Amino acid sequence: MTEEKTKVYFRIAASSGVPIYRQLIDQVKTLVATSALAPGTFLPSVRQVAAELAINPMTVSKAYSLLEKENVVEFVRGQGMKIRGTAVSQEDLSQRQGQMVPLLKEVIVRASQLSLRPGKVMKMLESLWKEEGSHE
Amino acid sequence: MNNAIVTEGLDKGFRDKGVLKELSLVVPQGSVFGLLGRNGAGKTTLIKCLLGLIRPQAGKIAVLGDDPWDFLEETKERIGYVPQTDRPYPWLTARQLIDYTASFYRHWNHELTDRLMKEWGLNAEDKVGLLSEGETQKLNIILALGHEPELLVFDEPVASLDPASRRQFLKTVLEIVSDRPCTIFFSTHITSDLERVADRVAVLKDGRIAFAGELDVLKEEIKRLRIRAAGVRLEDFKGEGILHREVFAHEAILCVRGYTPDIKKAIEEKFRAQLDVEDLNLEEIFLELTR
Repeated sequence: MTEEKTKVYFRIAASSGVPIYRQLIDQVKTLVATSALAPGTFLPSVRQVAAELAINPMTVSKAYSLLEKENVVEFVRGQGMKIRGTAVSQEDLSQRQGQMVPLLKEVIVRASQLSLRPGKVMKMLESLWKEEGSHE
Repeated sequence: MNNAIVTEGLDKGFRDKGVLKELSLVVPQGSVFGLLGRNGAGKTTLIKCLLGLIRPQAGKIAVLGDDPWDFLEETKERIGYVPQTDRPYPWLTARQLIDYTASFYRHWNHELTDRLMKEWGLNAEDKVGLLSEGETQKLNIILALGHEPELLVFDEPVASLDPASRRQFLKTVLEIVSDRPCTIFFSTHITSDLERVADRVAVLKDGRIAFAGELDVLKEEIKRLRIRAAGVRLEDFKGEGILHREVFAHEAILCVRGYTPDIKKAIEEKFRAQLDVEDLNLEEIFLELTR
């Protein structure tokens, strides 16, 4: 009996400055981190993804290979790419935090250039975040 | 043999005008390779040299290991070509033209061409001369696919197609590439199509290849930097990696090649500046490389 492959909806912007393979990797990681993709489920085949998104299958292969190297997925013979267990999500959290740091540092630099105090900026962030949240 | 196409030092000109100058290019087998260039840059000239339709003044070319000017019959059967504009045999019906073309090849997949005709909305009984530009282009593509070649060369294959038809074309190209070993070489203006399907691109400028390599690498290496600092001057920014620079009151905009995060740090420190790094898509990169 073959495992059912989860329906995954990838969205790519072909004409973005970010290479497509990178977009796919980031999306898989996000889906795993938010538990939308549970450990043990299988990613759709390279062919399926390529056909649906109308992109080169080599691009999907590249993304899947790199995900495998980073231990987010593992290749199961005859079945495809399986999402690995929860140990990975922990690593992933610090990775995600790491990605935020440069942005946060920029905020600090800019605030200082604009002579805005930390307290003020935090308040602004909070209210903007509330606004964003109400739109979802 | 790993490369579908190799050229070395290609020179081609017409009368006094040089078009291709010492052009060297490698297209690996299995690649979906996009050739970009401004109008008049020489894309069609290059393609015609690759197919043995015109002869270069100097240089070497090997297509599927063979010299195009003296192609073996067997090699010709392994190549499919869709030229830019072609209205062949207007008095034949689409069906007749396909059958006629098929007769030149030892192998022809009629099931494939029938299916594509249907999928792409072409009527087999329509006279070729009465087809619209888009329909003619679709038919020309089908004619190049029937003998299931190893190398497909397209010269602006989708220029006359609407977005839906272009997407159909791309999907068909990708299907082919998935099903069997095939190299695809196409010249186009439509960068968004290339971004979907090409793994490698080359930019033709001033008769030479300004860049050739993996598309992903190109996107990762070429960035636009906005540098905000007091008193920046044009002279502050020099170097081979700088494709373009502009300076305004307190801002410099650079387009660089070979970008790494270390460069960002270095610039921020040197100029005590605020630096924004922008990703560029293929269209923007093309514009920067062909200024």
